Formats: sequence, structure tokens, C-alpha cells
Amino acid sequence: MLNIALPKGRLGDKVYRLFKDIGYDCSAMESDDRRLVLCDPGGEVSYLLVKPSDVAIYVEHGAADIGVVGKDVLLEGGNDVYELLDLNLGKCRMAEAAPVGFREDAQRPLRVATKYPNIAKRFYGELSREIEIIKLNGSIELAPLLKLSDVIVDIVETGTTLKQNHLEVTREILPISARLIANKAAMKFKDAQIRDIVEKLKSKVEG
Amino acid sequence: MVLNPLEQLVLTLRELYEGYGYTRFPMRRFEEYQLYLENKSFLTSERVLSFTDVSGKLMALKPDVTLSIVKHAKPERQGVEKLYYHESVYRVSPTDHQFTEISQIGVESLGEIDSYGACEVVRLAIESLERIGLPYVLDMSHMGLAGGLMEDAGMTVPQREEAFALIRQKNSHELKSALTKWQIAPLYGERIAQLPDLCGEVETTLVRAAELAVGPEMKKAVSELSRVYGSLCTLGLEKHIRLDFSIANDLDYYNGLVFKGYVEGAPRAVLSGGQYDRLMRKLGKAGDGLGFALYLDELTRVIIKPGAYDADVLALYGAQDDPAKVLKGVEDLRRSGLRVLASPSQSPNARVKQTLRFSDDGFQEVSKNA
Repeated sequence: MLNIALPKGRLGDKVYRLFKDIGYDCSAMESDDRRLVLCDPGGEVSYLLVKPSDVAIYVEHGAADIGVVGKDVLLEGGNDVYELLDLNLGKCRMAEAAPVGFREDAQRPLRVATKYPNIAKRFYGELSREIEIIKLNGSIELAPLLKLSDVIVDIVETGTTLKQNHLEVTREILPISARLIANKAAMKFKDAQIRDIVEKLKSKVEG
Repeated sequence: MVLNPLEQLVLTLRELYEGYGYTRFPMRRFEEYQLYLENKSFLTSERVLSFTDVSGKLMALKPDVTLSIVKHAKPERQGVEKLYYHESVYRVSPTDHQFTEISQIGVESLGEIDSYGACEVVRLAIESLERIGLPYVLDMSHMGLAGGLMEDAGMTVPQREEAFALIRQKNSHELKSALTKWQIAPLYGERIAQLPDLCGEVETTLVRAAELAVGPEMKKAVSELSRVYGSLCTLGLEKHIRLDFSIANDLDYYNGLVFKGYVEGAPRAVLSGGQYDRLMRKLGKAGDGLGFALYLDELTRVIIKPGAYDADVLALYGAQDDPAKVLKGVEDLRRSGLRVLASPSQSPNARVKQTLRFSDDGFQEVSKNA
């Protein structure tokens, strides 16, 4: 039995359809089941539905053998897992955004509001730019409007939220998409099954 | 049995290592901070628990044993020193970011390391995994292949570090785009890009690895792996060995064989080892060095199963009972081989098979747990 951790929500639904297409379906996933661990009797896999930011933690600690998670979560968490495949799903980008017309004052540290302090530290570290991080857990766009911060570092999908709040992207940080990850020890003992999934997903994603 | 399975394992491993002529390395819990400062990247985490000693010198609780052993090794190459240790090290836990005490047992072989020497250490690593008593795998690799390819491709140090980080994650998709971005010559780039997936059954993987080896250092790496594997086959150990070129340690310290051991049920590697001649040179030693450590903490949850009972009987007595008679009664129960927990009242947390109560005729049964 292979345990697969999927992020709850829209991305998880998309990913499940991908797994179903390659033959790993699970009828419990398609019913309106509220359980968090779903498997069919006699099935080869069981699905765990967890908070997106927790997927990598379940996999790193071996509670799930493989999982699907956004690159943003992986970079922020720095989890010790294998990253086997870019699924090209849930595509967006990590970017710096500021109020329209913002001019940076290079004389003082830049105040950055973000949910991703590690990614922000690394990015500005490479630019040798001194920053002050303000860690928020949601509604990041609010921070520069209320002068809580100069800029924000966040996920940008369509840019609509930014536009509505009079913000614009000032620097691109990196592209984000969903990745297939695996527990390092699971790869040793369930190698054949994981390889099978990787190969099938690969031909699906690339084809 | 009073010793739990982990303590029993440590005893049988010490016996194993001593049987191969390894002697226990005597060690203090601390070392001069300078040693770790100079070899920061050898450590798994840069954070070290430091303190000042009476003379004002900065000291550190050991985050690692190998550095201490290498520091105390003799400077010349001749002969071989075989040492083992069973020690605690102090590291920042990657999960809760606090300092934790980690128990390790391991061996280090220093001096003239030849093919036999390498086979012996790998053999001991396999036997150490075997004695845990669970299904296990030893993954082997050799730094010479990836190191040689990257060196000949003229990659800079930061590029190599980034490439190794991606190789360790088996992240071929990002490795490929990074190699293209760095404009690595296809002769090397196409080969380096294959390293994350270069793993599996030894014989076929060795053939694939040999196809990637373009320089003398790389060819030497493949032939060393093949020689060690061949020797282990004569002992019938081949079914536990696999190759995995995504295992990569720091090139500044490691140059030869590297390996990791996994047991079923533990989410991370429980054994890690390799050949670190470059570390020996850095610390002014002419000899080679090869060793491994078994992380006992990773095994705790896997091999220690909580016992169903704390004691066989709970022997209850009252305040009015004569202590001499109670003592005699408990002694009688003990002599019949039972584990006895004597208590003046019911202990809500104690899990016992049977509860007895003291009377003038000795202990009588009150209740029995199924």
C-alpha cells in the first residue's frame, strides 16, 4: 500500500484526476466523503488530504510515501525529500510587489511583508539588500496599503488581486508549480511502485 | 531481559567492531570551538552549542565525532588505525530547530586504506544494518564520478554546490535547466543530468555508470565500486546492496565511496558513511579516512516496542501490615520469577497482569488482566 498526500482544495482535485488517469483511482475520493484518509478495499494506494503547507512534512516524516506540493512550500520548508517531477500544474510565480509608483529608498532596509520569510531572505540575500521581514499569514496585500511594509513577497497568479489593491510586480523571484515529492526511505522499499507512478505521470505531463 | 533492543544492539555492534580489531576511541563531550569553525561545511548544521571554559577559551559540545577522531589521528600514512565510538553529539534538530542530543555508534578507519580496507568498512556497515533485524538496503555511490564530471566541465564552486543539492533531491528537471543556464558543454551536461536517476540494481547501474565515465578519475570511481561490490558478492551480501548516485557528500571533504543505509519503517537514512581523504589533508594528516555512523535515535521508534506490562504483579499491602512479612511475601514472589511492583494503594498508571493483596497467609489474588 502506497500512501499519497494531496493538498486539500483545487490543486488536490486536479492532481487526483491526474492520478486517476494513470490508473490510481479511488472511488472514495469521488464521493462526498469527509474522511481524511481515503482508500478502496483492495486498492493499491490510499490518499491523505492535508493542508497544502503540511504535505511536505507528512512526506519527510514518512507518514506519506509520496505527495504533491507547490514549489513555494518546498522552498520555504526546506524539507529533506526527493523532488521527482514537475507536474506543470498550479502554475504561478513568486514575486515582489509594491504600490504603483513606489520608489525604493536604498538608504534604509526594505520592509518586506510575506508568508515566505525563508524565500524572501534568500532572494534579498543574493541581491545583498538589507531587509526587515514582517511575517504575515494572510491578506499580504494589505501591508503596503497601511504602510506596514514597503513591499510584499507573495504568490502571483493572475495579478487581479494586486491590481485591485493598486499594487504591481516590481521584481520576479521564481516560477512556481506543483511538484511530485517522495520520502527518501520509501524510495528504497517501494521503489517499483513509485517509479511506475513517476514514469506514467511523466508521459502524461510531457505528452 | 533488562536491556531494551537498542541497548542490546549497541552491545552486539561493539562486539562486532572489536572482533575486527577496532578499539574504542576515548572521548570528551567537548572540543575547541575553532575546530568546527574551520570545518563548518563538514557539519550537517552550522549551529554549534558553545560555551567558554575557565581560561576564556571558546569550547563546543561535540556536534560530530569524525572531526575529533581525525584531529587525534597520527599525521603519517603508514599502517592503519581502526577505531569505533558510541557517543552523544549535539545538533540542531532540522524539525524543531532546538539543540538535541543524538546518540551515534560508528567506526573510522584511518591511514592506509586500500581495496580490502574499503570492503571491510562497507561489510561492517551491512552487518550493522543486518543486526537491527529489519529489512534493509545499503545504497552506495562514489564521489569520483560526479566530482570528475563537474571538474572537467569547469563548473564553479557555487554551481557545483547547487548541482549537488539538486542531485541529492533527484530533481532532474531543475538540474537540466540549471545546466543549460550555465552553458555546460553537452559532453558533460548530458552526463551530469543523468546522475539523479542513476540508481538501482548494482550490475546494470554499473554498466550505465561506466558509459558516463569519460575521464580517468571517473573510470577509477566506477572500477572501485565494482571491486567493492564483487568482494561483497563473495560473502553473499549482494541482495542488500544498490547503487544510487544521488548520494553526494561535500566534495571539499569526501572523495571516494559514499553510502547510506535504510531500514524499513524509518523515514530517513539510519546509517551514513564515506571516504574523507580530503578532510584528513585539511587537518594535516597524510593518511586516508573511511568510516560510517549509525544514528541510534532514528532507530528508537522502529525497534523499541512498548511492553504490554510494567510488571507481572501489583502487590498491594496496607499500612497496618507488618513490613517484615510484606518484604518476605514480595521476596517469595520475586523468587518465583515474577516482576513485582509493591504499593500501598492502587497505582492508576501501572499496567500489570495481575493484582494481589497482602494477607497473613501471603499475597492472594484480587484480579487478573486479560
